[in-house]
Amino acid sequence: MSDSGAGKTMIALEGISKTYPKATAPAVQELNLEVPEGTISMFIGPSGCGKTTTLKMMNRLIEPTTGRILLDGDDVTKVNADELRRRIGYVIQQVGLFPHFTIGDNIAVVPRILGWDKARISARVDELLHLVGMEPKDYRDRYPRQLSGGQQQRVGVARGLAADPSVMLMDEPFGAIDPITRERIQDEFLELQQQIAKTICFVTHDLTEAVKLGDRIAVFGPGGTLQQYDTPDMILTQPANEFVAEFVGSGAAVRRLSLLELSRLELQTVGLDGTAERNGSPTYEADAEGRPVRWAYVPGTEAPPQLVTVPHTGTVYDAVDIMLDSQTELVAVVDDEQKLRGALWWRDLVEGLKTKAGA
Amino acid sequence: MDFFTYVVTQLNQLVFYGQQHFLLVGIAVGIAALIALAAGTLLHTNRLTPDTWSKPVRMGTREGLLIASSAALTIPSLALFGMLQPILGLGATPSLVALTIYAVYPILRNVVAGLSSVDDAVLESARGMGMGPIRRMLTVQLPLAWPVILSGIRVAVLIIIGIAVVAGAINGPGFGSSLLLGLQRLGSVNSFNQVLAATLGCLVVAAVYELVFWVVQRFTTPRGIRV
Repeated sequence: MSDSGAGKTMIALEGISKTYPKATAPAVQELNLEVPEGTISMFIGPSGCGKTTTLKMMNRLIEPTTGRILLDGDDVTKVNADELRRRIGYVIQQVGLFPHFTIGDNIAVVPRILGWDKARISARVDELLHLVGMEPKDYRDRYPRQLSGGQQQRVGVARGLAADPSVMLMDEPFGAIDPITRERIQDEFLELQQQIAKTICFVTHDLTEAVKLGDRIAVFGPGGTLQQYDTPDMILTQPANEFVAEFVGSGAAVRRLSLLELSRLELQTVGLDGTAERNGSPTYEADAEGRPVRWAYVPGTEAPPQLVTVPHTGTVYDAVDIMLDSQTELVAVVDDEQKLRGALWWRDLVEGLKTKAGA
Repeated sequence: MDFFTYVVTQLNQLVFYGQQHFLLVGIAVGIAALIALAAGTLLHTNRLTPDTWSKPVRMGTREGLLIASSAALTIPSLALFGMLQPILGLGATPSLVALTIYAVYPILRNVVAGLSSVDDAVLESARGMGMGPIRRMLTVQLPLAWPVILSGIRVAVLIIIGIAVVAGAINGPGFGSSLLLGLQRLGSVNSFNQVLAATLGCLVVAAVYELVFWVVQRFTTPRGIRV
């Protein structure tokens, strides 16, 4: 996740409303939203709250009844909709690859419309397939029906990125993928975003996904109203109103654990056995490379527990998972070279985690 | 004279009738296919019809056309040929017109069914990528609907091969006149052979068309959707 709040506004909705013909109540009303450049905004809310309608108004698949849409500062409410859409990546849950086009041709749709030359298109297709982790020579000439659901959605994302749009709109893109593949594809998606830094609006109905992927979360409420638009941390800790609090639900405290990276925490100091005094902190034995092997002394217990480690790039959620899994109250946090950075106690979680100053 | 000798003596004449029949059916179904494709595609997409046409008008026109063409199919063929005779006279022209009218329905039905069967997600992603209505129709909808449309054309051909025989009543080309003549003088010399030869001739024409369609289907169905 990159820093949110920084940078200029890429998409702005100004007083957007949508009332469908013959409907009595608007699907979206008086919506104001500013999506900062290079960030992921997750749209979440109960069914029929207008999150998909809002997304589709951004590329004018649905025309707003009133209000203005600004893309990178330009009013795009009245420009040619087809030309606008070629500037915006669009990925949907059912993927919608063209079954009669090869994977390569599917990705090349928008570049072809834009009239790129052949060599440039073919280079771009290969680049994108690499980017989504598919070997071009194996997949370029295959057809969509020869691919699994997860692979199809990777191609869907690649197709959305084809003409290098600055904005991507994604409508529950990982919703129809099995949970294990979904988790992997989410991780890949975050890695991808590190490289491409697009402005992404992403509709989901899964709060875990919203917290995991979002730099910001927009919570939609009944009647197409925006209840809160803020960082996941703020949504979870300081819900703006009853509705958001109820929507976020009782799991908020646990979900927050996955937002907190271990590297940001003030960890319990530990000493190498024999070098430091046992002044109440645990000590460990290390192998020749300095990697921790076992606990030598842990205060308050005669038989030190098994030493389990968690990388410092992980989150508190991962640490808790490991503690529960190995049934120990203490987990060692290690850096990229497997050197011990510190330890995290089970009781630290309850007593309140201390983050480093300035982190 | 046995049937085999009859066929040998009449071979040139029979081949000529066969060619006529083949062409008559081909031209009639070809024209009908153009009409059905044009009407079906135009009435399928909102933005291909004039802006003033609202969705109900467009759908109504499409359904109306389907009903009218299916009603046309229920007109007894002999009656239709007879009714066209005062206007268009005798021979090839009225035959062609009548057969075209009959062929529209099965093709139009399948054009509509084929276009409706295209996956909504595919259309939405096409729209979301900025493909306009004409581009969408030509590169996505028609190719995906094509196998269904082609099977409609195939059915039309089989129906029209049979109906084309009746064109003989107004001196139309093909096996019709020969077959009807044979039936009229049934009991006299070679009359049964004449009827049998014309009937089998129709079957041969149908078989040739089946071959043609097999090849056409093989080469025009996009690889990604070939079963």
